[in-house]
Amino acid sequence: MTLHSGEHKKIHDLHPEEAIAPGSALCAGCGGLEGIRLALKELGENVLIANAAGCFTLLSVFPFTPFKGSWLYTTMAAPVPAAQGVRDALDIRREAGRLAEEDDFQVMVVAGDGSSADMGLAPTSAAIHRHLDFLYFCYDNEAYGNTGFQLSGASPYGSATQTAPATAGHPAGAELGKKDLFEIWKAQNPPYIATVSPREPIDLSNKFARARGMKGARLFLCLSPCPTGWGFDPKETHTIAKLAVDTGIFPLKEYIDGQVVHTRVPKKRVPVENYLERQKRFRHLFEPTRQDEVIARIQQGVDSYWAHYE
Amino acid sequence: MLRVRLHGRGGQGIKTASQILGSAAFLAGHQAQDFPLYGAERRGAPIVAFARIDDAPILERGPIAIPDLLLIGDDTLLEDPQVAPACGADEWTTIFINTEQEALKLKDRLSLPGLPVVCSLGPLTRKHLGDPRILSVSLAAAGGRLSGRVSLDHLNEAIDIELGALGLDRQTLKKNQDLAAEVFAALSPAVFEERQEKPLVAGQLKVLEQQEVAQAAPLITATGNMQERKTGNWRVQHPVIDYGECNNCLICYARCPEGVIAADAEGKPVIDYDHCKGCLICAQECPRHAIRTLWERESHEQR
Ligand SMILES: Cc1ncc(C[n+]2csc(CCOP(=O)(O)OP(=O)(O)O)c2C)c(N)n1
Ligand code: SF4
Ligand code: SF4
Ligand code: SF4
Ligand SMILES: [Mg+2]
Repeated sequence: MTLHSGEHKKIHDLHPEEAIAPGSALCAGCGGLEGIRLALKELGENVLIANAAGCFTLLSVFPFTPFKGSWLYTTMAAPVPAAQGVRDALDIRREAGRLAEEDDFQVMVVAGDGSSADMGLAPTSAAIHRHLDFLYFCYDNEAYGNTGFQLSGASPYGSATQTAPATAGHPAGAELGKKDLFEIWKAQNPPYIATVSPREPIDLSNKFARARGMKGARLFLCLSPCPTGWGFDPKETHTIAKLAVDTGIFPLKEYIDGQVVHTRVPKKRVPVENYLERQKRFRHLFEPTRQDEVIARIQQGVDSYWAHYE
Repeated sequence: MLRVRLHGRGGQGIKTASQILGSAAFLAGHQAQDFPLYGAERRGAPIVAFARIDDAPILERGPIAIPDLLLIGDDTLLEDPQVAPACGADEWTTIFINTEQEALKLKDRLSLPGLPVVCSLGPLTRKHLGDPRILSVSLAAAGGRLSGRVSLDHLNEAIDIELGALGLDRQTLKKNQDLAAEVFAALSPAVFEERQEKPLVAGQLKVLEQQEVAQAAPLITATGNMQERKTGNWRVQHPVIDYGECNNCLICYARCPEGVIAADAEGKPVIDYDHCKGCLICAQECPRHAIRTLWERESHEQR
């Protein structure tokens, strides 16, 4: 497939070809799947995916693959070392004249938040530090989804997970805040970091188009509404994704040339409640008794984030 | 021993139904075993669960090929060759199907070994729980009643235990128990005659030879062959585009996570029903409300 060049402005600019064949075992309505589908429309077929154990390893189940390019299954902590091994092998072949430029490909890590924010973080940090060359797509469903939705370093304050449910002793559910992977990466000054939403295909596509030609570690953090783990009807995936942006909970931004730029700024932020109350993982904040302090603290976190930029 | 096999889809509570049934049997003083079997598939995908009930210790393990009681929670699975829910049923099997279709017609069309017990659990379930699709209690109650091995009290106690563990409040537990009572009353115990077991015969032993790594390792050399797997059978509801209303904006195409809506030569969106999982995102997102949704059964009837 020939890739688009230039700015995307409307839906009709999306690449008409699907780079991921249907038939995978991911849940109906998976927000992360929509994210990677749009990403690969922009990146094309010449991508090797190094996939950390998680929901997305169900994309390819022997003897079937949905991809036109190559795919490699790695342990939860090691997608980046795996990607690096592939990149090194390609570079060696290029240098030895055994791989033509047009046969070369990009290497992209695909990993969940558990892998990205917890187990796989140390090797990732080492790879950014050494200026290694890879794309990184993190589909963030805010828990260890594949194993039944346990608390991860990316689970937000106030959410219920299998290992940190709301109980009498811990009425908020998760009491720790979400690790800010954007800022953790930014501290190491890689060439490109972006947050993307499956609900914003144009914004997402333009970000991938910008990063495609760069070299070095490039992160895409995709907030991925998960009907199964978050507890909402699959048809609401985009409603939830949109509310995450409109409430200001999930800022769409990119880090490029040492600057953070917001690519969509909600004009008037919708109260966080509207986002929370639609999901079962936050139901305990509203029933049987309303936990005003917890809701207020979540709202305050959002407001103080945006206060930095207003 | 009573061997029970339950069929349904991920998200309908089939596993929970087997647990409620197993617990109720245990509370009634029987030995019991229950477990689900599913691959990596999720919500909407076919799943199967099992229960064994006996008065002697149960030493048998693993999936049940020949069930005494077959509980089919979703009639859209009946004609699915990948699931074949009636597989292994014989003249000693009591087949229960959650359906609005007629027993005799189903028996003839599907060549079932006997007349199935049919009952539409959807309306009862909707009445008590507000959603016709959550079968955990209604299917367990149907199974418990047909088995003749448990009383309504045992079933209610099992509902408290199993659904209580999922964090349901008292009021919701009560609704589920009212539902169980109504299903219980709608059915009567089946007669299970002693099955004449066929002796097991050992087949020829196959010796596997060592293969080269390129053949023995799980390498996939095809591209995009995942589409051989037809996930259209996950669908419970069915999106239908009304081309009279549609203005070809392609928002549905942009939003479908499966990538199964494509524009045809005239720019009209076309849904690939072989793979559409029925998430209904397209219907929800269409700004012109040009996508209607049908229950899968209605769409079968219209075809
Ligand atoms: C070292 C290690 N521990 C545990 C597991 C089991 N495991 C497989 S997938 C998974 C969840 C991964 O969570 P995340 O990275 O967020 O991806 P998701 O499943 O949410 O897509 C776990 C815990 C594993 N594969 N490896
Ligand atoms: S559990 Fe969530 S993230 Fe995982 S496949 Fe299902 S919807 Fe997607
Ligand atoms: S979103 Fe609705 S109007 Fe737009 S192309 Fe799809 S069906 Fe037609
Ligand atoms: S229901 Fe619509 S959005 Fe969902 S898989 Fe089918 S075509 Fe795609
Ligand atoms: Mg995760």
